Amino acid sequence: MALLQADELSKRFGDIRAVDRVSFEVSEGEIYGLLGPNGAGKTTTISLVCGLLKPDSGNVVVSGSNFWSDPQAARRIMGVVPQDLAIYEELSGRENLEFWGRIAGLSQRDARARAGELLEALSLVDRGSDAVKKYSGGMKRRVNLGCALMHRPRLLLLDEPTVGIDPHARANILDFIRNLVADGVAILYTTHYLEEAETLCHRIGIIDHGRLLAEGTLADLQQRLGEAQLFVIEGVLAAAEPDTWTGFTERFRVIQKTDRQLTVAALGRRDPAECLKELLALPVRVENVMLKRPSLNDTFLQLTGRELRE
Amino acid sequence: MNHLRTLLAKDLQRAWRNPVPWLVSIAVPLLITGLIGLAFSPQTRGGGLGRITFALVDEDDSPFTRLIRGGLTGQEAGKSLDVHLLARDEALRRIANNELAAVVIIPKKFTKDYLRGGKPIVLELVKNPAQAIHPAVVEEGLGLLVTALNAIAHTLGGDLAEWEAILEGHGKLDFQAMSRLLQRTGDHLAPAKAYLSPPLVSYQGETRANTSGPAQAWSMFAFLLVGMGAMFLLFMADNAMRDLYRELRFHTLERFQTLHEGLLVLIAGKATFAVAIVLVGAVILFGGGALVFQFAWKRPLALVVLVLTYALFAAGFMGLLAALAGKERRADILNNVIIMVVSLAGGCMFPPQQLPAFMRDHVTPLLPTAWFAGAARALQEDGAYLGWVGAAGKLAFFGAVLLVLATALFRRRLHRGVRA
Repeated sequence: MALLQADELSKRFGDIRAVDRVSFEVSEGEIYGLLGPNGAGKTTTISLVCGLLKPDSGNVVVSGSNFWSDPQAARRIMGVVPQDLAIYEELSGRENLEFWGRIAGLSQRDARARAGELLEALSLVDRGSDAVKKYSGGMKRRVNLGCALMHRPRLLLLDEPTVGIDPHARANILDFIRNLVADGVAILYTTHYLEEAETLCHRIGIIDHGRLLAEGTLADLQQRLGEAQLFVIEGVLAAAEPDTWTGFTERFRVIQKTDRQLTVAALGRRDPAECLKELLALPVRVENVMLKRPSLNDTFLQLTGRELRE
Repeated sequence: MNHLRTLLAKDLQRAWRNPVPWLVSIAVPLLITGLIGLAFSPQTRGGGLGRITFALVDEDDSPFTRLIRGGLTGQEAGKSLDVHLLARDEALRRIANNELAAVVIIPKKFTKDYLRGGKPIVLELVKNPAQAIHPAVVEEGLGLLVTALNAIAHTLGGDLAEWEAILEGHGKLDFQAMSRLLQRTGDHLAPAKAYLSPPLVSYQGETRANTSGPAQAWSMFAFLLVGMGAMFLLFMADNAMRDLYRELRFHTLERFQTLHEGLLVLIAGKATFAVAIVLVGAVILFGGGALVFQFAWKRPLALVVLVLTYALFAAGFMGLLAALAGKERRADILNNVIIMVVSLAGGCMFPPQQLPAFMRDHVTPLLPTAWFAGAARALQEDGAYLGWVGAAGKLAFFGAVLLVLATALFRRRLHRGVRA
């Protein structure tokens, strides 16, 4: 059952269309990743879903009810982890957790007990009484995450929760998130890290310029580029015009072209050796040809015309 | 109500963990009060301006200038003046080293030129600006001396030439000539007898006996502390209310919004925090100040009510200003300036009587800072003063109105600025 449904969400800021008719669903026990570069509309989408912003059009349905018909009920179900740290640096990790638990409606006793549980789960017990300003970046991120979990939300919105931390701390947080999913929590996860989307998310939506360009499992998205065959040609390609090459566009789709590199996908189920032969016969000076499996980055490249890392 | 309590506890905890800004707001008014009070309060015995150290360079060195020197170094003058008789170079060296407040130089031939008349004589005064008011006092004293010398010259006229001859007697005084001259000087002064003895104009000094004991006496410290407190409590309220912008900057406001519908509780919580922190500050300032400066508040209960209503006003006023500013940095600058202005115009820094007439008559009476400082000072001067009730009522009313306006405006501003 879909715990969250975003239906045709749109939001403009002046002339800028920050989110443009974005629709997706997140089910219990599922991680739905919104993948896109900075400024793609991921954070605005999260803001629309959690009610920080009202959409110009479209609906957010949480657990079968329209968000805006009873926002407080929807908020009780969801926990939000903002991209920026939203904790009090002067307070300790435990005090932060307890405070946000109290604001979420827990009693003093429940907040204290839950804070203890989360400090344990987030491996922060030893430092729980220290002021947050003395924590490392990774520890602060864990407290930031914990504050959203105090009231045991069934739906968790994570806005780039691992930005700016070291690989070890990131791995810890990702493991913690996997455990949450195992408990049936539905997660909307925004990121611009390909590896995170590939390894963590059950389904991925690719977003750019406010529009959801494609969505599906990793395999679904890779399929869009053909039957798992991608060729990278290196050579002098500045003057090359693939559209003018006889029969080329019927057999290959150009994914990306630069002065030194041409990335193409073979159309249909074809023999790689045959494809290589055809590519080497192209009317350009080819220095090298590589065959590779399409990655999420290639899908992104094909959809947006630019790399996610740009 | 639960949320309000939780928010207040959190803010007080944060203030406790990061006390420096609050301590500064408490320490500075105490320090200023102490410094000004110690300098000018009549209660600081032996204090006041202290002894003024200056040098007298007597390049004339005549019996007449020795007479002046004797007057300056006498026992009575010695209580307030520390006069060093030095050579010019040494005196100028010492003033350059900031060891002297001023140097007064009596030029060569001073006596001769003065007694002969007709030739302008100039006494030199070198002042040291680093010694605050002391050089100005020396200058005033020198002005008095010059006036007196001119008056003597006008009165005695031609006799002065004969005095010169006697004083220039090559080390040997002609007492017979001096006697004749004294006789004649006496004759000159005879017509003025009716004016001089007894003097036509005089004054009678009276020092009131302190009947109410030292604790009940008028205290300059209490007077100053009320004004400084009124100003710095505004700074504290400002710091507390501007914390709403910090909540925005630290994204905690967004998190609050994801858990709770509306911002009213958060803003009300911050206003409660502002009132609470101003009250805590006032207790330390006025209670601690009374202990440190050894005076007693005549009507402590009335003062508490005044402080309570002033805290309400301070929270509302600074909240509204911060909300109007719209941005944290702008509020930071603007609010500080406005606090200084309303404090100055409200008579917190100077006694209101010393403000320019237009401000004193038309602006000061409209300012809540003046209502508070005026009522608190009046209570301290006259324990039976009842005007404080009206002042407290006005402060409470305006405080409540300003708080409502600030809340509405902040709500709009923060709502507009919120994004995940």
